[in-house]
Amino acid sequence: MNHDGSDIFGVTLPQMREIVAEGLKGGDWCDLYFEQTVYNDLLLRDGIVASGGFHLDYGCGIRVLNGEKTGYAYSESTDMDSLRSAAKAATAISGHPGSISAGGIRPEAPELYCMKHKWSDADKKALCSWLEKLEAAIRQKEARTRKVIAMLSFSESEVMMYNSLDELSSDSRPLGSVTLTAIFGDKGRTEQRSVSRSFRCGSEMLDEQLISTLAEEAVRNLDDSFAARRPKGGRMPVVMAAGASGILLHEAMGHAFEADFNRKGQSVFCDRMGQRICRKGINIIDDATIPGNRGALRFDDEGVPGQKTYMVQDGVLTSYLHDRISASWYGVRPTGNGRRESFRYNPIPRMRTTYMESGSDGSLDDLIASVRKGIYVDKFANGEVRIGEGDFTFYVKNGYLIENGRLTMPVKDINIIGNGPQALADIEAVASDLKIDDGTWTCGKEQSVAVSCGIPSVLVKNLTVGGE
Amino acid sequence: MISQTEIALTRECVQFALSEGADAVRITLTKSTEDLIATLDGEVDRVSRCADRSMSIAIFADGRFGSFSINKLDRESLRDFIRRSIGTVRMLAPDDKRVLPSPARYCREAVSGREMEIYDEAYAGIDAGARKEKALAASAFSKGSGIEGVRLISEEGEYSDSEYDVYLIDSQGLECRHSETSFDYGVEVTLQDEQGNKYSDYWWTASPRLADFDPSGCARTAIGRAAAQIGARPAESGSYKMVVSANVASRLVTPLLSALNGYSIQQGNSFLVDSLGKSVFSEGLSIVDEPWRKGEAGSKLFDSEGVRTSPAPVISEGCVKQYFINTYMAGKLGKEPTVEDAIRPRVCGWPRPGLDTQALMEICGEGILVTDFNGGNCNMTTGDFSYGISGMLFKDGRSVRPVNGMLVTGNFLTLWKNLIAAGEDYRPCATKLIPSLAFDKVDFSG
Repeated sequence: MNHDGSDIFGVTLPQMREIVAEGLKGGDWCDLYFEQTVYNDLLLRDGIVASGGFHLDYGCGIRVLNGEKTGYAYSESTDMDSLRSAAKAATAISGHPGSISAGGIRPEAPELYCMKHKWSDADKKALCSWLEKLEAAIRQKEARTRKVIAMLSFSESEVMMYNSLDELSSDSRPLGSVTLTAIFGDKGRTEQRSVSRSFRCGSEMLDEQLISTLAEEAVRNLDDSFAARRPKGGRMPVVMAAGASGILLHEAMGHAFEADFNRKGQSVFCDRMGQRICRKGINIIDDATIPGNRGALRFDDEGVPGQKTYMVQDGVLTSYLHDRISASWYGVRPTGNGRRESFRYNPIPRMRTTYMESGSDGSLDDLIASVRKGIYVDKFANGEVRIGEGDFTFYVKNGYLIENGRLTMPVKDINIIGNGPQALADIEAVASDLKIDDGTWTCGKEQSVAVSCGIPSVLVKNLTVGGE
Repeated sequence: MISQTEIALTRECVQFALSEGADAVRITLTKSTEDLIATLDGEVDRVSRCADRSMSIAIFADGRFGSFSINKLDRESLRDFIRRSIGTVRMLAPDDKRVLPSPARYCREAVSGREMEIYDEAYAGIDAGARKEKALAASAFSKGSGIEGVRLISEEGEYSDSEYDVYLIDSQGLECRHSETSFDYGVEVTLQDEQGNKYSDYWWTASPRLADFDPSGCARTAIGRAAAQIGARPAESGSYKMVVSANVASRLVTPLLSALNGYSIQQGNSFLVDSLGKSVFSEGLSIVDEPWRKGEAGSKLFDSEGVRTSPAPVISEGCVKQYFINTYMAGKLGKEPTVEDAIRPRVCGWPRPGLDTQALMEICGEGILVTDFNGGNCNMTTGDFSYGISGMLFKDGRSVRPVNGMLVTGNFLTLWKNLIAAGEDYRPCATKLIPSLAFDKVDFSG
C-alpha cells in the first residue's frame, strides 16, 4: 500500500478532505476508516485439507461526532458519490458544524508485526502440508486419537484513516491463527481438547516448532482428563496458572475499566479513579506494543498510535481505557483503545493485550503449597461479565483439587463465578512467572475483535466453584 | 432490495464459473439495510445506517470444493475473483462427498421471496423522523426507576429497522428468494440502590411487521427485572428444583440442537451420537421444527443449500427423531440428507397446555427460578455443563428473595431426563420458540 493507501482505495488526500468537510456539516468531528481485508481459511478434517476459501471485504466507514453523540454510516464502494452519500447519512446526528484543522499530521508508530513472509505470497499447498504434518504429530504422540480438526486462518488488512485534525495514518495488519481440536477415545469414553495459537506475523509462524508445541499441548496430561471428575462445589481458594488465566483480568476487571461504561455511570469502578482497588504491588496493563502479539496494534482504529496503558499501578486505579470520545469527555489523552470489528462498526473502547505484571510471592508451587483445600485451574475457556454488578464467570477446561498443599484429583468442565472488585481485593499472592497466552482470544463486546491476555500464577482467596 | 440487474449478474457469474472450469457452482447473493437510533438516558446518542451486499460462491471443481465471498460486485472484480477462487480450489485435496443436493430436494416455492409474509411494505415508509420518534418514545428514563430509594443511573436503548434479501442460485437450476423486514428494540438499564450497589438488566422485542411492533413496555420491564435483583445473594449450595424463565430457556435447548448437527455426529464430538431413534430424554420433551409459520420471524422455505424445509418432529416424547445432515455430511455418514438445521424449533407444552413461569413454580413448590444466565459452557462431547445464574428462590410457588452469584452444574442428558414440565409461554418475537421449563434435582453452588 502507498503511504496514503490511495492505490488500494482510489481516493486522494484532497478527496478525503472533501468528504470530511461534508461530514463536518453535521458535527464537530469527522473521521474516515478505509479497510480492505482478505481473509483465508484452510480446514483439515478426516485427514485431508478438502475445504478452504478466501473472503474479500472492502469499504469505508464515516463517523461524525457531535460531542459524545455519534453519527455513523459506511459504504462498500469508495467512489466519491458513495462516500458523499455515506457522509451525509452520518450527519444525521445533527450537531453544530465543524471545520478541518490545518494540521497535516502524519503520526508515526513502531513496526510491531514481525512479518517476514507475507501470507499472500504463501504456497497454499505448503500450508495444506503443514496442517497434515500437525495431524500426524498428534497421532504419533497419542494412539487414542480418534479425530483431528485443524483450521488455519490468516488475513491481511489494509487500513487507512483520516480525520478532521488532518491526520492521515495507515496500517497493514497481518493475523495468522491455528486452531486444533482433537478427539480422543479410551474405553468407551471420549475427550476433546482444543489448543490454538495466533500471532500478528506472516506465514513464518508455521514452523516445525509450532507443530511440536501444539501437538504436545493437545495431549498433555490426557490421562488426567479421562479421570477428571466434578468437584464438590462451593466457595474456596483458587490458584490460577500463569497465562490463559489472564481471562480473569479481561472479564473481571478489564471491561469495567473501559471508559464508555464508566462515562455512562454503569461500571462498578466509575467513581474509584485514584483509589486503591487491590493490594500494593499489583500492576495491571493493557498493551498494544508487544511485537507479534495478537493484541498488538501500530494504530488503533481511530488512528491513535498503539501504546502501553497502566490501568492499575501499585494497587491503585490510574487509568481507564479510552477512545477519542471518552478521552475528550474525561479531558485526558486517548489511550489507543478505540477499536472496531471492521469498517461496518464505529469504534468503541476495547482491550488489546491485558495482563498483570509478575509479583514477588514466589513460584506456582509456593502458591499451591499455601492452600489447604481449593482448586488449581490449569486451562480456562470462555468468560463473561455483568458490568453493573461486576459479576463475572469463566469456564474451567482442566484443573485439579488442592488438598493440603498438593494437587490431587483432576477436575474439568466447571464454572467459576465471582465479583470483579471483590476478586481483585481477594488476590492474596502473585507469583513471578508472568506468561502471555498466545491463543485465539476474541472479545465479543458488541463487536468481535482480536485480543490477548496474560497473568502470572495468582492465588485468589475466595471464589465460587460450580460442582456437585 | 436485490435488483433484476443484480440477479442477471449473479446468473452470469454461475455461467462464468462453469466456463472457467468449475464442475458445479452455487451462489448466494445477499443485500441488507439497517437504520439504527441508539439513545442514552432518553437522548439520541448514536445514529447509524448500514447497507451491505455480499456474494458467497461455493465452487466444485475436479472433485474439490471451496467457499468464497466478496463484497465488490462489479463485473470485472467478480470475474477476477471467480478465476482466483477456482485456482484455489484446485490446490485442495479431492473429496468425492462434496456435491450439490439432488434437485428433487430443491425448494421450488420460494419465487418472489415474500411467500412467508414476513416482508412488510410499510418498511419503505419509515423515515428518519419516525425512527427518532420511536426510539425516544420507548425511553422511560425521564420517569426514573419508579422505586423509592432506587436511582435509574443509565438507560441505553436501541431502535432499528432493517430489510434483508437473499437470492440463491446454482448450476443445477436452483433459484430461490427470501425477503424479510424486522423492527427491533432493546434496552439495558442500570439501577443503583441506597447502598451504592448496581443492578443491570435488559429487555427487547422484535417483529417482522411494523403494525405488530410495540416497544413501549420494554424499558419498564428491564427496570422491573433489574429491581427484582436488589439485595440478591447466593442461596445455600445443594440440589434444587429449577424453573427457567422463557426469555432465557433457549440456553438449555440450543446445545441439544447443536448435538443433533451432522458435523458433530460425524466427528464424534456430540453427546447425542448413536441416539437417533432412541428415547434418551424425559417423555415430556417434544421439539418440533415449524419453518412455515407465515408472518412469524425466522420462517423460511429453504436452507442454505436451497433444500426445501418442512415441518418435522425433532424429538418426540423423549425420542430423537432427526439428525440435521446436509448433503456433504450425508455422503460422509452414509445417511439420507435432511435440512441442515432446525429453522424454527418449538418446545411443546407438557404435561398440559398453557403453562407459564408462575404455573411451573406452583407445580414445583420450592426451588430456584432462573431469570438470567451469566457465562458458562457445555462440553459438547459429554454434555457436561456449568452456567452462572441469577434469579429467585421460591417456596410454595411464590418468590421469596433474589439470588445471584450461583452456578448450575450438570449433564444435559440427565437434566432433560429430569424435566418436570414445559410451558407454552414462549416469546413469539423469538426465532426459537422455547417456553419456561422446570427440572428436578439440579445442582446449585453458591
